[in-house]
Order: sequence, then structure tokens, then C-alpha cells
Amino acid sequence: MPAKIALKGLGHEYVNPFTRERVVALDGVDLEVGEGEFLTVVGPSGCGKTTLLNILAGLMPPARGVVLLDGRPVTGPGRDRGVVFQEFAILPWRTVERNIAHGLEIQGVPRAERAAVVRRFVDLVGLSGFEKKYPHELSGGMKQRVAVARTLAANPEVMLMDEPFASVDAQTRITLQEELNAIAQATGKTILFVTHNVEEAVFLGDRCCVLSRRPGRVKALVPVGIPRERRTWKLFTSDAAFAATKDRVLALVREEVGGEDERP
Amino acid sequence: MTVRWDLAATWAAVLAVTLAGWGLAAATLPVPDYYLPPPTAVFAAFGDLVVKGILPTYIAESLRRMLLAALIGLAAGVPLGLVLGMSRRVADFAYPLLNFFQSVSGIAWLPLMLVWFGFGERTILVAVNYTVLFPVIFNALLGVRSVPRLYVNALRTLGASRWRIVRDVLLPGALPSIATGMRLGLAYGWRALIAAEMLVGAHGLGFMIFNAQAFHLTARIMLGMGTIGVLWLVLDYFLLRPLEEATISRWGLVQR
Repeated sequence: MPAKIALKGLGHEYVNPFTRERVVALDGVDLEVGEGEFLTVVGPSGCGKTTLLNILAGLMPPARGVVLLDGRPVTGPGRDRGVVFQEFAILPWRTVERNIAHGLEIQGVPRAERAAVVRRFVDLVGLSGFEKKYPHELSGGMKQRVAVARTLAANPEVMLMDEPFASVDAQTRITLQEELNAIAQATGKTILFVTHNVEEAVFLGDRCCVLSRRPGRVKALVPVGIPRERRTWKLFTSDAAFAATKDRVLALVREEVGGEDERP
Repeated sequence: MTVRWDLAATWAAVLAVTLAGWGLAAATLPVPDYYLPPPTAVFAAFGDLVVKGILPTYIAESLRRMLLAALIGLAAGVPLGLVLGMSRRVADFAYPLLNFFQSVSGIAWLPLMLVWFGFGERTILVAVNYTVLFPVIFNALLGVRSVPRLYVNALRTLGASRWRIVRDVLLPGALPSIATGMRLGLAYGWRALIAAEMLVGAHGLGFMIFNAQAFHLTARIMLGMGTIGVLWLVLDYFLLRPLEEATISRWGLVQR
């Protein structure tokens, strides 16, 4: 099967504006994501996960290497790659439904059709009854549901997610992870999901890509091999296969965190 | 907008006490009448000038000039501020320049403008428009710069065009700042208008109070001053604040 996304020799560096130091964020990343695959990328903080995702999104050009989508090089942002950002990136001056419809508006989808799609995704992410609310009236978890729905409604070929559940409370996070799992199963989208949370990476990913500490390289690719319908947190805590995979990924990440006092 | 009756009652009481104190001072202090006319004289002047049609004409004249300046300020200042704010380099360059011209108010320009544009309507309009325009441009620019980059990036990944980003992100994101700019610009402009009318002397409230001084019509001066203040309160309360509330507070961009 040809890769949906292919990263070839991807490297990136930037200059710290205060110290004038050159920081190599990514160095020679080779990675392929299959059609319909859910790939999670996990690694210690500062390993270049977000840089990787921004390059994939086309928001910054890589210093070295290429990103291929269906074999074509990525040169800028495009609606074939939807992004869910870590911070809530929905617009405060649009209601829930107008935020979700935004991608469709941009694509020029007629109003009636837009309304139907919005209704479907409002239901899918469990926001019925909140269509007319403004973001400041919503909790963090609900805002991120809006962001996910907005990305899904635009129907991108690939979904890129940058620690989307990092800034919501633990209880909500568990719910959102299970919902995303169901969405992935229902839509069959190709998803690349970046996180520093090992449990999350193993719970969600078909494969789990472990990045090394800075400069980020692919350290290991760990297949999870548990069918989507069995992925609930209840099973996760009791299933031996889950536990073994989690321990394996955790050990790999731990090697990279090293002496730093940081728990993944 | 709900009427706060308790607040209104407090204000009525404060006003009554002030007027009573003023009346008492005017009646007892050993100064000529034109030094400190009693409140009744001011009310009499009000009645007199309304009957003669002078006050309504002058108010209309001042408001017309102000409205024109507000429209031009909005139509020219907002787009200009948005465009300047869109590029970081341009914004960094324009910032001190705009800040400079904002601080050199229209009043400071008046002597030069009188030379350039003469003692007439043109000088008044240029001075007031200038004064309104700079805070509007300046704050529109600040508004654009304050829009989180994240929102722009989010729209870019949805495939939005540059124009779409301006319309859907930069303009609404800059609105709180634009509203501040409008409010500031009109407040400065109102002062510049009075000053310009004083110097140029072609109708208007500024002309009225300056002209009254030549004839020691102190009550008329006080009436003019009161009218200037009250008109501003009305403009601000019924025009600028509702505008702000209709959009910005509803979006949760302004915490009240």
C-alpha cells in the first residue's frame, strides 16, 4: 500500500532569539503514514513534535527534506490537511455552528448543505443544544470538540492533531479520547496525532512513533495491534496487550528523557 | 439597555445639591453678577437661545462636523490601520509615526492649518478629521497585531484565502481595539472641534462660548460648556457604547 503521508529526511532548525543559539529541532526524520492509519507521535517535550506537525500542515517550510502527500510535495497549508491545534483555535466571534461550518463556507458549499453537514458533526461530537453558543460560554473540552468538528466537517484527507487534549481536565480528556477513537473508526480518516502522553499515544494509535530527544529523530515505531472497537479505557486498564505495549513505549521514551526530572 | 433607577436617583440628588450650593454662592459671594451667574441665569440663557433658534443651530452645526469626521475616520482610518497592521515590518515602521501624530493633536496643528486653509470651514474640518483619524488608524493597527497568530493559521489550514482571513479573522479580531480607537478619536475630535470653532469662529458651540466672552455673557459660556459635556455623554452612551455591546461583549472579548 502506498503511503498517504511520507516524510523524507526532514530536518529543521531555528535560532533562539534571545541567546542567538542555533537549535536543531528535527534531524533526518523518515516516516510513512498509511491510508486510513492512526499514527501517534510521542516524545519528550522539546523534541520537535509540534515543529513536525507544523511542517506537515505547511505552516512552516522545512530546512531540509520533503513532505509528500499522495506522492506530491507539500508546499503550504491546504484543506487536504486539517489541523486541530493544542490551544483552542476556534474563533471567539463565531457561534459553535458557524465555527464548525467555517471550512465549508470557505469551500463555497451552499447554505442548506452546510447546515446538514454541521448538524451531523454537532451530533457526532456531542454538542447538540450548544449550536448557538459562543466559545466563551463553553468549557475547554467543548471548545476542543468544536475544533475537532470544524476540522472533520471540512472533510480533509488527513487530520493532524497537536496535543489537542493537553489543556482539558483529566476526566474530559478520557471522554474525548474515546470519542476520537469512535470518530476514527467511523470516518476511517488518516490521522497523525502528536502527544507527550504515552498512555494516550498507545490508546489511540494503530502505530506509535517514538521520537528521540532533540534533535528529534524516529527512534522506534511500535505497532499497537488492538482493534478499535476494543479500545475503551475500561479495557485499557485491564488488557495485558495494552499494558505490555504501554510499558514498551514508556521505556523507549524514558531512555530519551534521561536524567531530566520529567515524567512522560 | 436597562435604566438603573437607584443610580439615576443618586445623580438627581447630587445635581440638586450642586445647583443649590452654586445658587447660594452666587447670591452671597461679593462678586459682580457676570463673575458667577446663578444657575437660574444659565437656564434663562438656555430658554432665550432656544427660542431665538441659536442654540439648536449651533448644536446641529457642531454635530454635523463631528458626524462627518466620525464617518471619514471610520471609512478611511479602519482600512488603513488594518492594512498597516497586516505586515509586522510595516506595523513596526508605522507605529512610532502614528503615535507621534496622534500626540500632536489637531489643536496644536491649528495655527499652521489657519495659514494653510484660512479662517473657515475647511480648517475646522481638517483639524477635526485629523484628530479623529489618527487614534482610529493607530488602534486598528494595534488591533490587527493583537489577533492571535493561531487563528490565522487555523484558517489557512482550512484553505482560506488572504481576503477571507482579513474578513473573518483580522477585522473581527481587531474590533475591540477599533471600538476603543473610535471612542478615543471622537473624544479627542470633540475637543479639537470646540477649539477650532473658537479660533475660526464660524458657528458652532465653540464659537458661541468664545464669542460670549467678549460681551461678558458668562451664563451663556456656562451653558455652552454644559451643552458640550452633555452632548458628549449622549453620543457616548447612545451611540458608541451600544455599538460595543452589540458585538464585543457578546463574543466575550471584553470582560465586564
